[in-house]
Amino acid sequence: MLRRAFLVGFVMMVSLAACSREHGPPRDRGTPHLDKVPALRGGGAARSPRIANYKLDAKLDTQAHSITATETLTWTNTGQSQVDKLPFHLYMNAFKNDQSLFMRTTRGEMRGAHAADNAWGWIQIDSLQIGGVEMANQLTYPGAPNAPTDQTVAELPLQQPVQPGQTIEINFKFTEQLPEVFARSGYKGEFNMVGQWFPKIGVRVGAPGAERWECQPHSAFTEFFADFGVYDVTLKVPFTYVVAATGVLVAVNDEPGGTRTLTYHAEDVSDFVWMADPYMITKSGKATLEDGSSVIVRVVYRPEHEAFAARHLQAAIGAIEKFSADFVPYPWSIMTVVDPPLDAASGAGGMEYPTFVTTEGDSVFIRPGMHFPEFVTVHEVGHNWFQGMLASNEPVEAWMDEGVNEWADSHVMADLYGARTSVIDWGGFTAEYEALSSELTEDPANSPTPIATAAFAFPDSDSYGATTYRGTNRAMTTLERLVGTTKFMAAMKSYAKQWAFKHPTGRDMFASLEKDLGQNLDWYFSPVFEQVGGLRLKVRSAHCIPAHGMRGVTGDGSTRKTLTDVDEPDTGAWQCEVVVQNTGVIHVPIEIELDFADGSAQRVVWDDHGGAAWKRFDVEHSSKLAVVKLDPDNKIALDVPIQHQYRLDGDGGASLRAGARIASWAQTLMQLVGP
Amino acid sequence: MGITKSSMRLTLGDLVGSGTRAIKRYTGTLLAVFVVQTLVVLGTMVAMAVVLAQAFGHLPMWDDAVDGDFVSLVICIKWANANFLACASIGFGALILWSLASWFLAGGIYGVLAQRPEGRAETARAFGASGAATYLTYARLALCGIPGWLASMLVLALCMSVAGPKLAHALSAMDLIGPVALLVIPVALVGHFFATVIDYARVELTLRHDTHEPGVVATYLRTVAFVVKHPLSLIHAGLGWIAFFVITFGYGYLAHDRPMYGATGAITLFVIRSGVSLARMAIRFGVLAGEVDLGGSRALPPRRVEVKAQPKTAA
Repeated sequence: MLRRAFLVGFVMMVSLAACSREHGPPRDRGTPHLDKVPALRGGGAARSPRIANYKLDAKLDTQAHSITATETLTWTNTGQSQVDKLPFHLYMNAFKNDQSLFMRTTRGEMRGAHAADNAWGWIQIDSLQIGGVEMANQLTYPGAPNAPTDQTVAELPLQQPVQPGQTIEINFKFTEQLPEVFARSGYKGEFNMVGQWFPKIGVRVGAPGAERWECQPHSAFTEFFADFGVYDVTLKVPFTYVVAATGVLVAVNDEPGGTRTLTYHAEDVSDFVWMADPYMITKSGKATLEDGSSVIVRVVYRPEHEAFAARHLQAAIGAIEKFSADFVPYPWSIMTVVDPPLDAASGAGGMEYPTFVTTEGDSVFIRPGMHFPEFVTVHEVGHNWFQGMLASNEPVEAWMDEGVNEWADSHVMADLYGARTSVIDWGGFTAEYEALSSELTEDPANSPTPIATAAFAFPDSDSYGATTYRGTNRAMTTLERLVGTTKFMAAMKSYAKQWAFKHPTGRDMFASLEKDLGQNLDWYFSPVFEQVGGLRLKVRSAHCIPAHGMRGVTGDGSTRKTLTDVDEPDTGAWQCEVVVQNTGVIHVPIEIELDFADGSAQRVVWDDHGGAAWKRFDVEHSSKLAVVKLDPDNKIALDVPIQHQYRLDGDGGASLRAGARIASWAQTLMQLVGP
Repeated sequence: MGITKSSMRLTLGDLVGSGTRAIKRYTGTLLAVFVVQTLVVLGTMVAMAVVLAQAFGHLPMWDDAVDGDFVSLVICIKWANANFLACASIGFGALILWSLASWFLAGGIYGVLAQRPEGRAETARAFGASGAATYLTYARLALCGIPGWLASMLVLALCMSVAGPKLAHALSAMDLIGPVALLVIPVALVGHFFATVIDYARVELTLRHDTHEPGVVATYLRTVAFVVKHPLSLIHAGLGWIAFFVITFGYGYLAHDRPMYGATGAITLFVIRSGVSLARMAIRFGVLAGEVDLGGSRALPPRRVEVKAQPKTAA
């Protein structure tokens, strides 16, 4: 009987463990409703110069995960110099073989996801015509310095240069194979994430008359840089598939044979991405902006993600409202958040595109109160401002979108979930996003590269992440706190308004901030953004002695006498000496709070613009100095703050409590191994 | 005479009742063992506190870390990881120390429960004599138990390879049930089996030490057969472990989200956790008493030495 019970239990257990989520066979999901809203919220005039406009017609083979497509690119030379070649990004060739620059620099691994050995991705240009003349055979692949056979950029020499102000039309036919997703784009099972999928022209940058192409080969840390334009895209998929895409759905047509054609339209965006999956469902909400208008927010997810979809939706709505209030209003009508299936999340999740982002972080272990999934959503939605609208050159100045966005995210997270609890409020633990993210990664001060480093010039992913994301966030946070949050937020809002739908550089942002803050900030920008070394602040020493008059020998000859503590007793006051040091390269004004035993406090300032590495403060006070606090208002986020506070008399109370807690865990283990 | 009662007639109720009676009758013994454990824990706590205070006595950020500021905790751990490593080593050392001490203490407890002495002095004598007599035997038994623990680890590894990916992809509590069951139940059953075998082997070695001098390996192997044939032994000990974990997780649940700040908090924490530990130890004590009853009903092992005849006393 008992053996039978064990057997039954074992079978049940294995069955429970083996059971997987079954969605049933794909079925017709019904004809999707048209969005019936303009691509731009409220319609209206173009927000951008619309330099590169695309018409795409693609068909997805959901069995082979391949795409056949046509593309019509209409491009205008808005510069003042003629153009004699056209470079195109062919991002999907990053996954073509292990000799691409991307695969060499990622070693086939990105954010914990690994490339499959037998699921390569590629794009092939079947036809390229200009004015009806076939030119595909004239394409060349310049490669990359460390990857000569890289084909993520193709160049087309022009026999007839494109003159300033001239518009040309380029017609492509291409075939594409999606890789198994490990870096943003690809498939996993029946889930298809189609990003960076079509031939995309580079961007003309530089001073008027001396423009040059910016079209970097795709490497590990570089993302995307493109001109704004209008996209009209037709997607053919089986009618059992749910599709989400950039822009608004303007037409649906069901065709014989089970194919559904969906037409999307997007304006003033720099990219177009889409997702097709047979099991996804949608949860919708509305973000209400300050002018009373609203943005449709959708989370697209598989049913098992239901609990997290609500969290992502709330985060996305909050992010749109907060970013709109802090910078410029969200200009588009719809925001789509795709929550990929778990087995695709590390590869496809956590990526930003205009009006469309992917998120991740769902797990039963991420309890409500742990806001990591919400942060991913906030961060990716935030990219619709920092890069989506303020379209900086991400391969060259990644910090301008990743880092500045991180800084802005910290504000949104604090607004949504509380300043001290913005990322963790669970189990008696609390954490604020900016501080936690900084401490969980390498100290940017140890990075061998400054913040203002091109994305492809970082030595490794740790350095890239710590510097570009965390370093920039710390730098922005520190400057904000030094000049005052209200002033700084106003200056950033002004920068956003001035440069939305343009391509700002770091210098443009610095100049805008200096203008709006009314001060020269070279002393800050140069060491913080362009130098290696960071800020290394600590209380070097602090001690006090009882104050009294001079003791010892005084006078000469007959007037010589020796004064002792009887002659000069302690006055009851204390003479205290505090030495602080900064061995980093960044020098900012530092407030120092001296807390005395009687509860009083005194503040002094070390204005360290001069670059001195240390400073001594001598203070006489009626009460003994108890604690020295550097940066008591926590303005300086550029340094690990553990040595910013120093208690003169050691206190073991906290250590005893910690010891009690750890010893208690040890006692539980003891009782497991002994009586 | 408990040891003459047939095992077939002993029920779970008998074993539980035996444990309850033993706790009542030998409360002093239970408390004495608990005091020893508490002293080890206190020593561990003080040693850890000294190590941590060396690093953080002058740094107020540590106070925030202990009071639940997660960022401060991360910073402190990164900044003084050698000190935390030292604390972990102290904890591990305490665990090893307790394991070694437990051979003596378990021997003493089994001795008391088997001999049922009266009065403090007799109990102390029985405890000390039994603990000392069986110490090295228990040490050899611990070596015999290694293959069993290795088997448990192997089961854990196998289950982890199956359940791990499913755990990583769990989105809801329902998703957790299967993988957690697969991860926990097999290793718990295997581990429980071998732990029970060790317990009953200790009982056997304690009860028969003077009369039969049973070999350790033979006793271990005989006990494996005994436990297989007597599922009551597994159920009884299993109930004890279930109660142990119910108390542990119950406390964890109640303490969750209730940080105890300051010196008062530290004292409160220590008192409450000591109460929890005492309750768990009482449960184990009761289980050991039931094991002595059931183990005492086993068939006698082969006699390796002749029992010396008791000298006749003069009438």
